[in-house]
Amino acid sequence: MMDDVLDLVSQPAIQAILVLFIGLIAGYILGRLVTRLLNILGIEGIVEGTGTERWLQRMGTSTAVVIGRLVSIFIYVGAVLAFLLGLGAIDAGLFWSLATAWLPHLFVAIFVLIIGVIIADKVELLVSERLQGIKLPEVSLIPSVVKYSLIFVAILIALGQVGVHVLALLVLLIVYVLGLVLFTLVALQDFLASGAAGIYLLLREPYTIGDEVVVGEASGIVQEIDVFVTYIESDEVEYIVPNRQVIREGIVRKR
Amino acid sequence: MSSVSERFERLFSNVDAVFLFDPSSSYFERFESIEDAAVIVVSPENDLGADNHVSLPITFEDFDDRVHFGVEGALDAGYVDDGDTVVCAASVFDDEIDTVGRVRISSKAHSGVYDLLVNSRPDETVIRDVIELAIELGKKGQKGSPVGALFVVGDAGKVMNKSRPLSYNPFEKSHVNVGDPIVKVMLKEFSRLDGAFVISDSGKIVSAYRYLEPSAEGVDIPKGLGARHMAAGAITRDTNAIAIVLSESDGLVRAFKAGDLVLEIDPEEY
Repeated sequence: MMDDVLDLVSQPAIQAILVLFIGLIAGYILGRLVTRLLNILGIEGIVEGTGTERWLQRMGTSTAVVIGRLVSIFIYVGAVLAFLLGLGAIDAGLFWSLATAWLPHLFVAIFVLIIGVIIADKVELLVSERLQGIKLPEVSLIPSVVKYSLIFVAILIALGQVGVHVLALLVLLIVYVLGLVLFTLVALQDFLASGAAGIYLLLREPYTIGDEVVVGEASGIVQEIDVFVTYIESDEVEYIVPNRQVIREGIVRKR
Repeated sequence: MSSVSERFERLFSNVDAVFLFDPSSSYFERFESIEDAAVIVVSPENDLGADNHVSLPITFEDFDDRVHFGVEGALDAGYVDDGDTVVCAASVFDDEIDTVGRVRISSKAHSGVYDLLVNSRPDETVIRDVIELAIELGKKGQKGSPVGALFVVGDAGKVMNKSRPLSYNPFEKSHVNVGDPIVKVMLKEFSRLDGAFVISDSGKIVSAYRYLEPSAEGVDIPKGLGARHMAAGAITRDTNAIAIVLSESDGLVRAFKAGDLVLEIDPEEY
């Protein structure tokens, strides 16, 4: 009896079926586990309100379930490959190249893509919440730009994983980022200068609220000092002087 | 046969506006499609993105207090008019909205508290923070015994020029904002000493222990209030600041603007 079972198991076809069977079960359980784990980690709260999650919910599923499914599918594919190897349908060299190089890379690529889209969605949501107070139609462009920039980066990484040549796209990304940095620097130049001056003014307090001062043309009582500007008020007018100017032109304190 | 909702029908007929006090977002969404009445949300912050929003300075416990302040805010903002009939819905017993009241608006009962918050020089949140601070100080006192305090908020430059230091200023070269949690502890300690706290438009505590010397000419505050209240009334008349006073004798928190008493609340009730 025992010998019969051992005999049966030692047959390659039966072994292959066994491997396939175990692979399918392991894939299913692991997929479920991943979904559970993601739910325990509170992924619902993180992805809540993003476009992807809403779209998935309309399809009757959720982000956690999709990622779990993905894990399952890859283990299924691995199991099927092992099954084919056992049957002798594919040779060992092909199997190992598929199982160690191609499959993990594909998995990482799809995973990066999904996570990238979710992060992009989430960042879009956060940015647009931040900008909610500004009721300008142009402002609604910013969240989308941020979102598609992030998706672009995710696609780049994914394609790189699969082995597609991404040099041209990479150059595009670098040019784009450099342009962004350059624009920001030019746009924020005055703010940076004022901010640096403001930090000095706040730390050393050469003048404080209530002092009567003259800065260039502005003269009056200091009402407020913040990082970027100083509010100087006289009886008729209120001057809002950039801190950069305060440092550059010097302060006259009246006694 | 008649049902309960039919009997209450008169409550909801000919309503010009609906006031929702601190509604949850799903509750608010149910009201978005209403067409025959304006929907006005009353809450500390407009985080629901409502078109008509009134912000409350403090969370009032009493339903009628809440209605009173909400209606006054809506009146000032022009959402409703004198003589309108409105329905106010708020949560009194549970977290859910469970209480509804029908109110006829009359502009006679105008106390100016909404004007104090919205049309004053300092930021609205700063005023709210200071009122909350005064209420908390009034509730707990200094080691059980009642304390008094005077906060002058806004127009700090002018206030500083119309006052003199009673002692070394503990807030010199510090950047403490009234909204910071640590302030509650600090102020409790400093309130032991006499003098006023001076707070800037953006909420920075500029100084403590200030002796205010405005000209008290023409200040008319209710009789029976002490020197602290007189100083508060006078400084708000002389500058564009507002003053919030915690009375040591009766424990009430009062707010002054332009020399007038505009708000009086009992810390024990909140």
